Amino acid sequence: MTSTVTVNPTAAKAAISGLTLRYLVLAGLIVLASVGFSLANENFYSLVNIGILLRSIAVLFLVSMGMTFVMLTGGIDLSVGSNVAFAGGVGVITLTTTGSAPLGFLTAILAGMAIGTINGIFIGRLKLSAFMVTLATFALARGLALVIYDATSINVSDPTFLWLGGTSWGNIPVVIPFVFCVFVALSVLLYRTPFGRNVYAAGANFNTAFVLGRRPERSVVWIYALSGALAGLSAIVTVGRVSSGQPWSGLYLEFDAITAVILGGTSLFGGRGRLLGTILGVLLYGIIINGLVLTGTNPYLQSLIKGMILLGVVLLDSWTQRGKAA
Amino acid sequence: MNNRIDMKGIGKSFFATRALDNVDFSSVAGEVHALVGLNGAGKSTLMKVLGGVIQRDQGVIELNGQPIEIAAPVDATKHGVAMIHQEYSLINELTVADNIFLGRELFIGGTPFLNKREMARRVRAQLDRFGLDLDPASPVRDLNSGEKQIVEIIRALMSDSWLIVMDEPTSALSEEDKERLFGFIRRMKAEGVAIIYISHHMPEIFGIAEQVTVMRDGKIVLSERTSNTTEAAVIKTMTGTELDDFVKPVKTISDDVLLDVRGLTHAHAYQDVSFDLRRGEILVLTGLRGCGAPELAKAIFGLTSGYEGTISYRGTTLRPGRGPAAAVRDGMGMVTENRDKNGIMAALSVRDNIALPFLEKATRGGLINAAKVEAVVAKAIRETSTKTSSPDQEIRFLSGGNKQKICFSRWLDEDLELLILLEPTRGIDVHAKADIYRIIEELATRGVGVLILSYEIDEVIMLADRVITLYQGRSVASYSHPDFDKDKMLADMAGANLPAAAHA
Ligand SMILES: Nc1ncnc2c1ncn2[C@@H]1O[C@H](COP(=O)(O)OP(=O)(O)OP(=O)(O)O)[C@@H](O)[C@H]1O
Ligand SMILES: [Mg+2]
Repeated sequence: MTSTVTVNPTAAKAAISGLTLRYLVLAGLIVLASVGFSLANENFYSLVNIGILLRSIAVLFLVSMGMTFVMLTGGIDLSVGSNVAFAGGVGVITLTTTGSAPLGFLTAILAGMAIGTINGIFIGRLKLSAFMVTLATFALARGLALVIYDATSINVSDPTFLWLGGTSWGNIPVVIPFVFCVFVALSVLLYRTPFGRNVYAAGANFNTAFVLGRRPERSVVWIYALSGALAGLSAIVTVGRVSSGQPWSGLYLEFDAITAVILGGTSLFGGRGRLLGTILGVLLYGIIINGLVLTGTNPYLQSLIKGMILLGVVLLDSWTQRGKAA
Repeated sequence: MNNRIDMKGIGKSFFATRALDNVDFSSVAGEVHALVGLNGAGKSTLMKVLGGVIQRDQGVIELNGQPIEIAAPVDATKHGVAMIHQEYSLINELTVADNIFLGRELFIGGTPFLNKREMARRVRAQLDRFGLDLDPASPVRDLNSGEKQIVEIIRALMSDSWLIVMDEPTSALSEEDKERLFGFIRRMKAEGVAIIYISHHMPEIFGIAEQVTVMRDGKIVLSERTSNTTEAAVIKTMTGTELDDFVKPVKTISDDVLLDVRGLTHAHAYQDVSFDLRRGEILVLTGLRGCGAPELAKAIFGLTSGYEGTISYRGTTLRPGRGPAAAVRDGMGMVTENRDKNGIMAALSVRDNIALPFLEKATRGGLINAAKVEAVVAKAIRETSTKTSSPDQEIRFLSGGNKQKICFSRWLDEDLELLILLEPTRGIDVHAKADIYRIIEELATRGVGVLILSYEIDEVIMLADRVITLYQGRSVASYSHPDFDKDKMLADMAGANLPAAAHA
């Protein structure tokens, strides 16, 4: 914990002279944190533990990448955690009723996308506040999940359905290369396609993007749909990991994702940030949380520490932002 | 007492850019000191140092011989320095009156309650002097750029400062408002106020300034009494080369009508306006603030609906409010009047800001062809001599004039057919202006129809093939090159020649 406090000045300088320096600082912190935790607990550095760590944050990777798209537009998606539960429910019910795993995958992703599209239409087309709309769907999707599951979890044993979240190749969980593939695909989408440029344009100045004929209102719908689809994907991974579908899965996921994205240098005001930063943010955040568990920190303190990390990062960003405004 | 302020040996760097290099600059009560130079020369940076908006790296600032510390805008205010910023510094969410009295609010008696009525009264009195029919209680967000500029000016005028810095105060003003501003400046000068005046318009400067200082690449290259120098000499020292003046080429324009506007009417903005624009023609609409031309342009670009009358483009009637995406697809481009609101994307790079409208064309198999984008961007930067450290630089770090150049250069594409320009050369220096006029002529020669709104009568006359004067949303008269009658045009704009109800 002390480490995050003492590095503030360094990180502040980093943001001023561009994202690259911030990534270097993040990478440095990741090394620092893992060395620190491995000194405190020799188990930390074991290959087994790294596998466990990566698997435990696989879902956070996926959701945070979607959140990065959303936050690049200056928006926020509070519904992702509930959406994971809802989409998982739809997938699991489809699986149990039809017995078809591919159909279960498909419906899970479509269900996640549906919630995302609803968000997108209200935010992009009807110009409502992203915070309010996704706060509503946050409650709505959780409610739907509870209804679908009838408030109890459902065990899943279909090996195909569990493969993505549950299988390991040696010490490497299958989901890790999968996350990497998603990262590459989303990077291509964000940096190499007109859609990706439109994401930045919509966030940097919606009016200008509109006048330049970039249809930001349409981009925003697709961006929230993407975030929802990634929540659906995360639902599949989550079910695979615990071999059951649970109505309360994905709790606080939106909090973790937002923190990781901001930690990764994406601006709260839109238009600025990269996927790589989010990956580093998730890693650092995951290591800190996981390390606290391994070193036997009082679990009640975890939430406190998470809150402090978020507050610290937001404070830091507003300082550097003010430095830039001059 | 005769106040004076002296800035000595001021230096400022932004990373590798040396924006100010050992600059000496003084301002004396009762005088107008003009500061000129190319876009990106460092004028605004110098004034931001004086206003406490940015911190200098080297140098001292002295008030009447005593060094003073200006670490924040509030220090500048304390020493009696007010600023009219080039980029509007008004708070959009507040009302006109709140903005003007921000930080100097009036209270009822000794109570902590705001005297809203008195503030509104005083603001209205000032607005009246500008002939601006505006409710002091309306939010600044809804104002157009000329109105914002006037509010910004009024705020400085009402601040009881002895030194007022005006960074391109006339860039969005119509001829009439400019004259009013000059009237204020002359009166304040007589009252012992010092004014630092930044502008790219030589006649303005030689009309009101006692002293003129030229900056180039962050250094002072000339400082002289205006009575001892000439416009040509000043323009020459800006670059070190003669001005390559724009001369309108002779050309014949086809009869191919590109845009046909018939009986266009919209509640308060414009009434029964008709004109056509042929391919290769440069048509300039001109008038005073409130003449309706910006609103007309927006209707043509598909931004507004709810008008009566028809707009046909390439022979087909456009659906009202069809949206800019359709307009861009059909080969239209537009430079808007409010650069910060809907012209630039501040957080994005120069590259993104230029390339966005082209992206689909630079795409192969769904992926952007980076080399192609790079070529387009490099060309746009080169042709308009935009000063940027690299295409990766965020556009918000560019000087005002250079931002404007990008708003223009992003449309220079082969498929362009109709270019709509609202105040295209706003804030652009004299040398680059000539370049932009040349580019516009080249476009026209290639067959692009160009529709321009300009408030600057000299620009109108220099650039237009045809001029339509507007008064309060009605077209007054139409003039064709070279039969331009400047005095008559000015009279048209002022409403003297109504009701001619002339149609093009
Ligand atoms: N915050 C900043 N960061 C980096 N570079 C900056 C920043 N502010 C200004 N510059 C650079 O400093 C130089 C001077 O800019 P400045 O705004 O003073 O020009 P200017 O003379 O006012 O030009 P214009 O006539 O276009 O308004 C430009 O090259 C600009 O890009
Ligand atoms: Mg400037």
